[in-house]
Amino acid sequence: MTISKFTDKLFSRAALRGIVAIGIFMVFWEVGARSEEWFGHRFPFIGLVPPPTDVFVSWTGLIADPSYWQSWYMSFLRVFGGFMAAMIVGIPLGLLMAVNRTFYGMAFPSFEVLRPIPPLAWVPASIIFWPTQELSIAFVTFLGAFYTIVINVLGGAKSINKQFLQAAQSMGASQWDIFRRIVLPATLPSIVVGSAVGMGITWEVVVAAEMISGGGSSGGGAGGGLGFFIWSSYVGGSYEQIIVGMISIGIAGYISSELLRQLGGLLTPWLKTR
Amino acid sequence: MSAVINENAGSLDDVTDGAISIKDVVKIYDPDGAAVMAVDHCSIEIPAGEICMIVGPSGCGKTTLLNAIAGFHGITSGSIHLDGELLCGPQKPQAEPGSDRIVVFQNGALFPWKTNLDNIAFGPMMAGKMSKAEIYEKARGMMADAGLSGTENNYPGEVSSGLRRRVEIVRALMNDPKVLLFDEPYRALDSLTKSVMHEALLEIYYRNKVTIFFITHDLEEAIFLGHRLIIMSSRPCKPKKIVEVDIPHPRDYSVLTSTRFREIMNEAKDVVHEEAQKAFEAGEKEG
Amino acid sequence: MPDPANNSEILRALKSAMPFQMVPDNLIQEIAGICTQQSYDSGQKIYDLGDVADDVFIVVSGSVQHVLSTQTDAGKHEKTMRGGDVFGWAAVLEGQSTRLAVTVSIEPTQVLRINGKGLIQVFKSEPAVGDVVMTRFATLINREFYVPRSIADQVPSFKQALGASSLQGSEVTTMALTVYRISTWIKSPRPYLMLIGFAFFLGFWMLSVEVWQLPRFVDMPGPTEVFTEWFSEDPYYGLSVYTPEYYKHIGISLRRIAFAFFLATGLGVPLGLFLGWSKTFREFIFPLFEVLRPIPVLAWVPLAIIIFSGSETPVVFLTFLASFFATTLNTMLGVESIDESYSRAAYCLGASRWQTFVHVVIPGAMPYIFTGLQISIGVAWFSLVAGEMVSGQYGLGYVINTAYMMIEYPKIIIGMITLGVVGYTTSAMVRMMGDYLMQWRVRELALGDN
Repeated sequence: MTISKFTDKLFSRAALRGIVAIGIFMVFWEVGARSEEWFGHRFPFIGLVPPPTDVFVSWTGLIADPSYWQSWYMSFLRVFGGFMAAMIVGIPLGLLMAVNRTFYGMAFPSFEVLRPIPPLAWVPASIIFWPTQELSIAFVTFLGAFYTIVINVLGGAKSINKQFLQAAQSMGASQWDIFRRIVLPATLPSIVVGSAVGMGITWEVVVAAEMISGGGSSGGGAGGGLGFFIWSSYVGGSYEQIIVGMISIGIAGYISSELLRQLGGLLTPWLKTR
Repeated sequence: MSAVINENAGSLDDVTDGAISIKDVVKIYDPDGAAVMAVDHCSIEIPAGEICMIVGPSGCGKTTLLNAIAGFHGITSGSIHLDGELLCGPQKPQAEPGSDRIVVFQNGALFPWKTNLDNIAFGPMMAGKMSKAEIYEKARGMMADAGLSGTENNYPGEVSSGLRRRVEIVRALMNDPKVLLFDEPYRALDSLTKSVMHEALLEIYYRNKVTIFFITHDLEEAIFLGHRLIIMSSRPCKPKKIVEVDIPHPRDYSVLTSTRFREIMNEAKDVVHEEAQKAFEAGEKEG
Repeated sequence: MPDPANNSEILRALKSAMPFQMVPDNLIQEIAGICTQQSYDSGQKIYDLGDVADDVFIVVSGSVQHVLSTQTDAGKHEKTMRGGDVFGWAAVLEGQSTRLAVTVSIEPTQVLRINGKGLIQVFKSEPAVGDVVMTRFATLINREFYVPRSIADQVPSFKQALGASSLQGSEVTTMALTVYRISTWIKSPRPYLMLIGFAFFLGFWMLSVEVWQLPRFVDMPGPTEVFTEWFSEDPYYGLSVYTPEYYKHIGISLRRIAFAFFLATGLGVPLGLFLGWSKTFREFIFPLFEVLRPIPVLAWVPLAIIIFSGSETPVVFLTFLASFFATTLNTMLGVESIDESYSRAAYCLGASRWQTFVHVVIPGAMPYIFTGLQISIGVAWFSLVAGEMVSGQYGLGYVINTAYMMIEYPKIIIGMITLGVVGYTTSAMVRMMGDYLMQWRVRELALGDN
């Protein structure tokens, strides 16, 4: 039954339409990219892009290349590191701001003043401050996810239904119990949402930081992560690889978000019943 | 106000339009291949100008019937006529929504982005048959009649929920509809506001007599407002008992304490309770 | 004169009532002089419909059930009055000498009675204060009972110049609320905590870099260095508020943002609306959109440089791309979020499909569209900075990057702070634009807050 449902979905009108649209897009891209070769006249803009078939060929060549996978590994490591740091610092900070008014009054305005500065503007300052390039990339990555996570945790914890707290109090719960058994789980959905958004930003920042700082401490070459992979492909003139890198980052970002979504679902089972 | 309300208030003799005839209507939902019968061979005749109260437990399929009349979704078989004209039937499973049958929604559907006045003017503006000035003049007049003067430039979100319901009814009446379809509009109101709303609705009805198809699960509301109650069985939805309310119009809140009111209440209560019990045991959720 | 202890209690009760919160102390003393305290038992009637309206009441403790006469045509008739609530305002209305409501204490209750005529007398000496208090009365009456303007308009006005126009129901609500919010903000600990927070932040920066010269920190530019450079008429590194160069960078960044943002809005909003509105269109286009979206905008940098020659267009394109995805997606979600009963109601009222699109779908999606635009302007700056750092001439991202290369470190911080200020200003402008276009929402929220 589930299989027939799955195939139903796969061959549903909606799925077919989506595939048709993507197919048309690919054909358009291929024709546009080969316009000079086929028609002797290069289409504007699209004519400069490498065609999808070339991208595919280049990709198959890379699959056996360990340095390509090393880029994946490096980027994942950085995303994971920065993201974890943002969670470890951001969640307690957001909760503390939510429960303590004095701390909120002192910390939140400073936080709000720093927030509009785009994370990437921190790159040079970060490079000056941190002893290694790797740490400076990690710091900027951390910043990217940090603001979003704090804002979401704070918003989530502040919007807890007051009746939950009153109900717990009337049943004799201590302050700590209330924090651990009411505030924390009630904030979990916001934490999940915040980290999903934060994860997206983290990938943006890692890619950019890798491009700007030239690959990190592990030295040049393909050891510098997917962002550096794209940049060095550009510098080296292998344009097909730029697109391979872009698609790889897209897939990597998608995998991370999906993992996070699954994990979020496991952590908040009560949201499913509704 | 009282000048308008005369002995003739309850009479339907002067109303010519708005007779609804529901014949053998069946509605089967088919989500995920599991057919659910929401309405089962339901036949109801509503004479022009009657306030017909459809009473039944929450989720029994009353709204399905209302949506079929309004044209929000189709029916599986049977037919619905308005003044002898086919709304939907075997050849035409879904009626066209139109301004001759206007719904007053459960949670209210005043456009929050339009002022009360612009909400009320909406129907005629869309029709484009009158000038803007004429429409606003008519709208202001109707608002004044319904005691809504002074709230023209307020947005619906700024006024009380009771007031919003009144604005919504006036918005419907602006289009001179033949039928008003009420989908438990007072459900979310507290009982005090509700009682004020009931009297206000009757007052509006006495001035502009239209057929009213009113869904409710509140028996007191049903008897107070209606000419007739049609008590529905729970899923599938089908008329189970018809109760004539012979309390003369115009009615006001003193009716609630009359002996006749109690008698009708007793007559209807057992049937309603039995259906509610069945619905509850079938695990029907609220809403 | 009442005894001092009693007097301070009266003062406290007066100050707890919303209309009197802004009255200066000398006037409060004067009003306290015409106050009397009274207690009622549970269930005791305080006044009835048609009684002579002489005094205004403030609840000190306990609670009072207040039921307005149906003849007032109020939107809401009943309210329970608790500590700090004011009732009996018929006593200050012009042209109203009798009570419009029944009030009964529902538990042992303490109230403060203020003679209405006496109160008006007091305010005649201070018309400006009187108008504020009366404006607040009008706001209160409107907010709690939704009475027709005919009643709220009877609230007396003391200064004719301010008079009629400022007492129009809804304007009163927003105006008085703003004043009220500012005054409560000043009185709350919040602004002072904020200053303490800033002081901590700046203090830490200064101490760690300039005073203690901690390892690592010592390489960073300190606040004194940054601010003297920033506000110097003759800056050492050539960039301060006095140099035209500074404004050129800001101007060029702003021009890029404006171009990209408006292009993204102009294309993204209609596309999002149609994606949400037409199922067929969505089924074709949305999967393509979803396939492209996970690619971080900044990964497009090299490709953008290849496709668009030069250094200017790639930067603008990246900025545009980031904005475009955010705007389109949120607009589409906005259309999907609209309650079905709104479009059903429009069809019922005879609207065509196109009319429903114009009058229901567009305004209904507006809150989401503006959420999208807020995100859009944020990511636009995010991408712009990256773009300017990688390629491009001029702009704030370029300032930061070249300052790093040239080891002109204070300029990095100047660039960052300027980015923060300019970025915040643009997103505040988007928010204000949203508030302006969605008055209905602003007014709803103003009521909801209180």
